[in-house]
Amino acid sequence: MTSGPYNYSYIFKYIIIGDMGVGKSCLLHQFTEKKFMADCPHTIGVEFGTRIIEVSGQKIKLQIWDTAGQERFRAVTRSYYRGAAGALMVYDITRRSTYNHLSSWLTDARNLTNPNTVIFLIGNKSDLEAQRDVTYEEAKQFAEENGLLFLEASAKTGEHVEEAFLDTARKIYQNILDGSLDLNAAETGVQHKPSAPDSNQANLEPGGGKDSCSC
Amino acid sequence: MNSLEKAVTQQIMRERKNSEREEMVNAILPWDKFSQWLHCICVVTFDLELGQALEFIYPSHIKLSDKEKMNICYLSFPDSNSGCMGDTQFNFRIRQTSGKVNHHLLVRRKEYDRNSPVILQSDPAHLFGFVYFRQVKDKSSRRGYFQKSVVLLSRLPYINLFTELVELIAPEFFDKGEELIEAACHDIDQWSNPVPGDTLQLPIMGTVLQVKIPAKGDIKIGALGIARDAVPQPMGSPLTVVPSLHAVETFMCLQPVLPHIQLLWELVLTNEPLVVMGPSPGITCGTVHALINTISPLKYMTDYRPYFTIHDSEFKEYTTRTQGPPPVILGVTNPFFAKTLQHWPHIVRIGESIHAFLDKSKANKPKKPGSLKTLESKPGVYTQYKSFLSKDKTIQKRLAKGIQTRRPYEVQDAMLRRYLLELTQSFMFSLERYVTSLMPLQRNISPWKHPPRLKAFDIEEFLRTVEHSGPQLTSGLKGDWESLYRRFFKSANFQGWFQNREEEINQKLLLLHLEALSEADLLKWCNEREEVEVVDLVLKLRERLNDITERNLPVKPELIQKLHQGTESIIRSLPEDLRGVLEK
Repeated sequence: MTSGPYNYSYIFKYIIIGDMGVGKSCLLHQFTEKKFMADCPHTIGVEFGTRIIEVSGQKIKLQIWDTAGQERFRAVTRSYYRGAAGALMVYDITRRSTYNHLSSWLTDARNLTNPNTVIFLIGNKSDLEAQRDVTYEEAKQFAEENGLLFLEASAKTGEHVEEAFLDTARKIYQNILDGSLDLNAAETGVQHKPSAPDSNQANLEPGGGKDSCSC
Repeated sequence: MNSLEKAVTQQIMRERKNSEREEMVNAILPWDKFSQWLHCICVVTFDLELGQALEFIYPSHIKLSDKEKMNICYLSFPDSNSGCMGDTQFNFRIRQTSGKVNHHLLVRRKEYDRNSPVILQSDPAHLFGFVYFRQVKDKSSRRGYFQKSVVLLSRLPYINLFTELVELIAPEFFDKGEELIEAACHDIDQWSNPVPGDTLQLPIMGTVLQVKIPAKGDIKIGALGIARDAVPQPMGSPLTVVPSLHAVETFMCLQPVLPHIQLLWELVLTNEPLVVMGPSPGITCGTVHALINTISPLKYMTDYRPYFTIHDSEFKEYTTRTQGPPPVILGVTNPFFAKTLQHWPHIVRIGESIHAFLDKSKANKPKKPGSLKTLESKPGVYTQYKSFLSKDKTIQKRLAKGIQTRRPYEVQDAMLRRYLLELTQSFMFSLERYVTSLMPLQRNISPWKHPPRLKAFDIEEFLRTVEHSGPQLTSGLKGDWESLYRRFFKSANFQGWFQNREEEINQKLLLLHLEALSEADLLKWCNEREEVEVVDLVLKLRERLNDITERNLPVKPELIQKLHQGTESIIRSLPEDLRGVLEK
């Protein structure tokens, strides 16, 4: 987590939400480490991950908060929604109950983030076709009705995982370009060029210059 | 001298690499990272039967002693609650009486302390407590009030960072309950270790705090720069820059006693007993930290308590009249202290409204201590102490003008801090230069002799250097610098500073000596020597190798290997009977 030179021009904050056991942490792990975690412990509160991506030639640092799905943490994780630019809402295509709870997660996401927050619906575990409990068409329709982006993905095989994270970023970046996301407004979940503290580090660090950025 | 400096720099580079290697070898266990930052988080509540009581501690495996628990409970609430409706923040410092630290943590902490500026080193004997106290009307409670505190305990004096941290955590906890503390601790357990020199991003409660951990050279005498404060982002944006780990708002806190700032600086510098009486713990702790900081980058070496109560386990020890007042700084709010500490030589009274700049004509003279009988006494400094240095009117005028023209606090603050830093530096500069002159020359470091050490500090010799190249070179202040030095030499601040410098330099000399030893042609030297001398060299080499492990010196493994090999080859060159003895 040590930051080197700032070689990115934006930070986007993401949250990952959804029922327990739908594979939120595995999606994050697949995206940041490109690996599948076979037995993943329950998330306590929130896990944190970052990755730098590129959208239209712009380097963007994704700051991803992976929340606990356990009900006892539900109130707690709401504290983490504030200022998210993107929300990945995950259900498990082999467990209908996780799909049925989506409207409650969506209500939280809508209430606790700003109107421009991009919400991406992910039907995880697409590799388990035989055990499918929710059809693609049904979820697709739900997404359209609620104005969500949608993909089925697999944290295990990695299918569509990159796409989900990157498409969300593209949509946020699009919103910035067309002006619908005002960067000067509070809690947009986007930060343009992290306020480079070089000016005050320069005279604090006579021999170092490690953090003086050239971006 | 130049090559010596170069060698020292190289040494530091190697230390860094070593620490990185160590990082990779050590496996990370749950709570390892958390423990690098915090000792634990406590929640203190008001129990109708027990009074203040510890509701819970996180992580639950942390054991506090009964004494610590009692102190934490009393210090987590204001002494008199009446004036503290709503949310209040302050901090305290207690003696640590519990718990052994595991070896693994201790190694890390030593490493951190070695590379950290002295004022940011971890406290081996105390814990800092950062309190967020809420007192609001609550109809559901039998008493009609909700009264609870969240307290972060840490050995690190990161006043600013932890004040912000508890401000993020506590209100959410009051809202959402115990799970929130669990989640917050889990966040903190994902933080990188505080490595001096690094800029870290610390995820917490949906935001990321960015902090720079200063390295040894960043805050020191000779480095004039004061950080220009970055404008912090509003909370809730993805990244919040915390401009300083430890700085308090010096100007804001010391404004009521601004005309006496130099006098206070002298008192703090020479470890005079000092009590700060104020209306609330928030105000006393701000003032106590600001006072400690007036001598930065020098470390205040004796005890200080930003907030101290009559229930404190050290109450008797510190207020006894059987011996003189101890060389400590106490921040108190209880009116009782006005009487208990009447015999203290220096008392700072801070009034209710910290903003009210005092009536100029009256405020300029320190008051006699005897005149402080009750808590109703006027704000000011009560002492009979006469400053050694004459008053600097320029800074007083500049600050007064700033108040008149409503100059922003940050600017006033930077101005005052810079002034104090330059004052301290002017004072310390001659000392630093004198200590440097006590260092042996590089060419005197011989692998065949003992490692050289710093020569002894000679007060009179030093004072002779002050006559021609003292503080008058860098400070326009007139006055009796010599007497101030003499007083300083009797203080713990001087002892601590000198011990620190001595250790630092001696360690560097030891390292340079080791290097000289590893590069020397041992066998060739032995060929020309008597057997007794050769045996002596073997014993010395072993002693040095012992030093490395015992003092945990930052040495490259290759160097150790080389010394081992050197020792062995000498032994092999010896007659068989001797070999047998030495190989044991």
